[in-house]
Amino acid sequence: MSKEIVKEEAPSSSPDVSGSFASLRSVRWRISLSILPSSSSVDDLRRVTADSRRRYAGLRRWLLVDPHVPKDGRSKSPDLVMDNPLSQNPDSTWGRFFRNAELEKMVDHDLSRLYLEHGSYFQTPGCQGMLRRILLLWCLRHPEYGYRQGMHELLAPLLYVLHVDVERLSEVRKLHEHHFIDKFDGLSFEENDVTYNFDFKKFLDSMEDEIGSQGNSKKARSLDELDPEIQTIVLLSDAYGAEGELGIVLSEKFTEHDAYCMFEALMSGAHGSVAMADFFSPIPAAESQSGLPPVIEASAALYHLLSIVDSSLHSHLVELGVEPQYFALRWLRVLFGREFSLQDLLVVWDEIFTADNSPLEKDSGNDENSSLKMFNSCRGALITAMAVSMILYVRSSLLATENATTCLQRLLNFPETINLKKLIAKAKPLQILALDSKISPLSSIFDGSYNHSKSAVSGYNLSSHPVSPKTPLSLVPDSYWEEKWRVLHKAEELKQDSLDKLSPSGKKRWSEKVKLVLSRTESDPLPARAEKYKKGHKSSVRRSLLDDLTRQLGLEEEDTEKGGCSDASNLEDRHSTEAQVEGQQNDTNIGSIYRAEERCECGSGTFVSEENSSVFSDPLSSGSGTNDHENDTEKSSIASNLSSDENDDHHQSNPEDSPLPVSSPPPEGVPLNSPHENESSGNLVSAMRERRHLSGRFQWLLRFGRNNVSQEASDKGGGTNETPKSLNCDSKSNTADSSIAGASRSQRDVDQNVMGTLKNLGQSMLEHIQVLESVFQQDRVQVGSVDNLGKSNLVGKGQVTAMTALKELRKISNLLSEM
Amino acid sequence: MVLVLAIGDLHIPHRAPDLPPKFKSMLVPGKIQHIICTGNLCIKEVHDYFKTLCPDLHITRGEYDEDSRYPENKTLTIGQFKLGTIGQFKLGICHGHQVIPWGDLDSLAMVQRQLDVDILVTGHTHQFKAYKHEGGVVINPGSATGAYSSFTYDVNPSFVLMDIDGLRVVVYVYELIDGEVKVDKIDFKKTATAPSAH
Repeated sequence: MSKEIVKEEAPSSSPDVSGSFASLRSVRWRISLSILPSSSSVDDLRRVTADSRRRYAGLRRWLLVDPHVPKDGRSKSPDLVMDNPLSQNPDSTWGRFFRNAELEKMVDHDLSRLYLEHGSYFQTPGCQGMLRRILLLWCLRHPEYGYRQGMHELLAPLLYVLHVDVERLSEVRKLHEHHFIDKFDGLSFEENDVTYNFDFKKFLDSMEDEIGSQGNSKKARSLDELDPEIQTIVLLSDAYGAEGELGIVLSEKFTEHDAYCMFEALMSGAHGSVAMADFFSPIPAAESQSGLPPVIEASAALYHLLSIVDSSLHSHLVELGVEPQYFALRWLRVLFGREFSLQDLLVVWDEIFTADNSPLEKDSGNDENSSLKMFNSCRGALITAMAVSMILYVRSSLLATENATTCLQRLLNFPETINLKKLIAKAKPLQILALDSKISPLSSIFDGSYNHSKSAVSGYNLSSHPVSPKTPLSLVPDSYWEEKWRVLHKAEELKQDSLDKLSPSGKKRWSEKVKLVLSRTESDPLPARAEKYKKGHKSSVRRSLLDDLTRQLGLEEEDTEKGGCSDASNLEDRHSTEAQVEGQQNDTNIGSIYRAEERCECGSGTFVSEENSSVFSDPLSSGSGTNDHENDTEKSSIASNLSSDENDDHHQSNPEDSPLPVSSPPPEGVPLNSPHENESSGNLVSAMRERRHLSGRFQWLLRFGRNNVSQEASDKGGGTNETPKSLNCDSKSNTADSSIAGASRSQRDVDQNVMGTLKNLGQSMLEHIQVLESVFQQDRVQVGSVDNLGKSNLVGKGQVTAMTALKELRKISNLLSEM
Repeated sequence: MVLVLAIGDLHIPHRAPDLPPKFKSMLVPGKIQHIICTGNLCIKEVHDYFKTLCPDLHITRGEYDEDSRYPENKTLTIGQFKLGTIGQFKLGICHGHQVIPWGDLDSLAMVQRQLDVDILVTGHTHQFKAYKHEGGVVINPGSATGAYSSFTYDVNPSFVLMDIDGLRVVVYVYELIDGEVKVDKIDFKKTATAPSAH
């Protein structure tokens, strides 16, 4: 039932349209609302009209359920168990009938109070019936909106103009009757039904009569002699024109159909920018920047324009606490229907509808702070401008009062006698202003005025926060892919001690955990990570992070203590529980970063457990397991690439970027075990990934000290020399010892200067680099014992990468220790 | 379109504890416009329960009803008064224990003529019946709880819902047979002229 058939938009000012249908408001409006094409061909108009009417009739037949009448094509005996009046089955026709009845009751409630002063038309049962049906059908078609009070007031003037035009038509008919009726139609059963019954005598007599009566009435003989306007009316109403009766554009019979089409076009905006239905929905629009319902946004736009035009009045109103939606809600939802008398309203709507509703092209630079939807089209801008001009109209009385209530009273009871032309004239330049003005970021609009929707506001404040991500949501997909990636890259190990140093507030357990995590990743990423952490430490955000973390750690203490030194599966559980606990602390976006990291770590935790168990199992199978996981890196790399980009932004520019590109060539993305083709692409990606990893490690470190201990214990157990994995295990176990020492060191640093810990960090990094190097030497020997050829190749490759990474690490640690 | 529930002979609490749950789930407030009760509820609680379903409740007195204020029989007119006589149904209610022999069609027809109604709703026999008889309709909704009856074997719980629409009445019979609700539908039409034979 959409208006796809009519794609042509009416031009913003259509002099030809209004010229040809100057007195036929309904036709003009239908053209402006894009129901009818703006081409002036009568046939086109008729055809489109007929189509839209057919659609409505079909809709009506389908939706207005009469349970007595069996549907076409249904079996003679419907299943009575389902279809009886008391059936609770929601699909039964009776069920639908009762639901419709409820909706109707709501609609009736409003309709009974509609336009009581114009009761002669609106309160007639025929009109009420039409209104009821139209509203019912629209609501059934759009169940997400339901019926809201005010929709009937949008519909009523539409019906009214149609009615007025039909009356005009009947007037014209009276005057020019013979043009409307086909004289052959009435001859059905006449006796003298012969075409050429030409009696000359009679003809002459009638001629004389004609001449005699010439003075009284000028009867135009042919259609062409009429005014073009009357001509159009006649053509539009020709029962034999295109589409026959259905195509008579002004027809009383089809008033309901036309009104429905107009109403639907108005509500849906007809592919334009301003859709009235949005104003009735309480939920924010999908692409809304501020997370507020559209009508609130529009009210804000109103105030924004007012502030540009008349800042003193605006500030006065804001001071008094007069929020725009108190009065603007009614103004916007009913398009000023309640503020003006019916005739004035029609004039206002004339203006509004001629304004083009197609979305305007905004400059792309405005992407982030995308303009308010209201200003996105001429029509929206005009509506806003009208509202502002109305406010300005009562300016003096608003400024005079210091009472919010009186202000609202003044605005809500708009004066009766107004100079409408002046009002509209004032709105025009305001509209241009609204379209031209650069719309400042929404935060500035919303921060000041809106205290009511805290979540939205806080969402806004957060978005301006330098460190937090643009939207919290983007972290969630990161974490999933991060998790996958970590699972995949279990062979990559970070140095435990480097992470250990990175935890200024880390207690013993934290650092241990971090070490564990670090050892699981290759050394390659370390440079980047170290840099990241350095940056992190420097920023004030990190400090607050630390506070948060200490707080959180305090909470986690009980959890971790309960864990016990058990197998890795416990580790996994604890990860998830802690993640959940963390998840509950939803104060800031930073918290959400933690959450995301948590989940990553959970994933890596699982894999660690797997890894440990698989150490005792067939190395080949575990190798193949990782092969499968490898495939996921492809996808995750992209995601993590994006995420790491984000993180890069957050932690400001990284002057020490230079080591990164150097370190990136080694394809650390390839773990020691499996072949993979993503080496080339993985280079840069992996570098980015590592940086992301770094921040992840940091949070993780601060939380899971306890688990770390258990992990290490199991690692030590699993440290065999059979597989490449053992390399990791070995390094883990080796570094574990020193890490504990380092941990105790860092524990003392909890309350101390961050820089001091950085120095320690550098030192321990150096130590562990040495350890790792020695391990590599060992492994070179051990590799020979592995039978699997392919694996050994890769092991060799991995070793090379590890060596280069170690070198980088050395550099970093030097830098750190110098600080 | 008026929905009228015809129900009766529940004999709560003497012969049955409550309505069958499947029936109870179907009887929700808001759908039914009138309730006609033939009698033998027997206690006030059942009366109140029916009141929650629909405020417009008409009861006649059965021999075991504890409330003695119910009338012996009752008539009511249901339908829209569009053009005077069209769309009007006259319903008569009577418990039926007064009509001897119990359940006899001719005697019931006599009552119908006496009350001058189109539809006569009676009970007492605990058995569902719906007759078209001499220009009128006699409906027996049976016992809604399936309560014991001394002269009817194998009483199935049943009740009747009438959908009165203009000159047509559609009778939906809800019976609980073997634990399943079975629905049946009967159509009756009233001729436009005075209540004459179909």
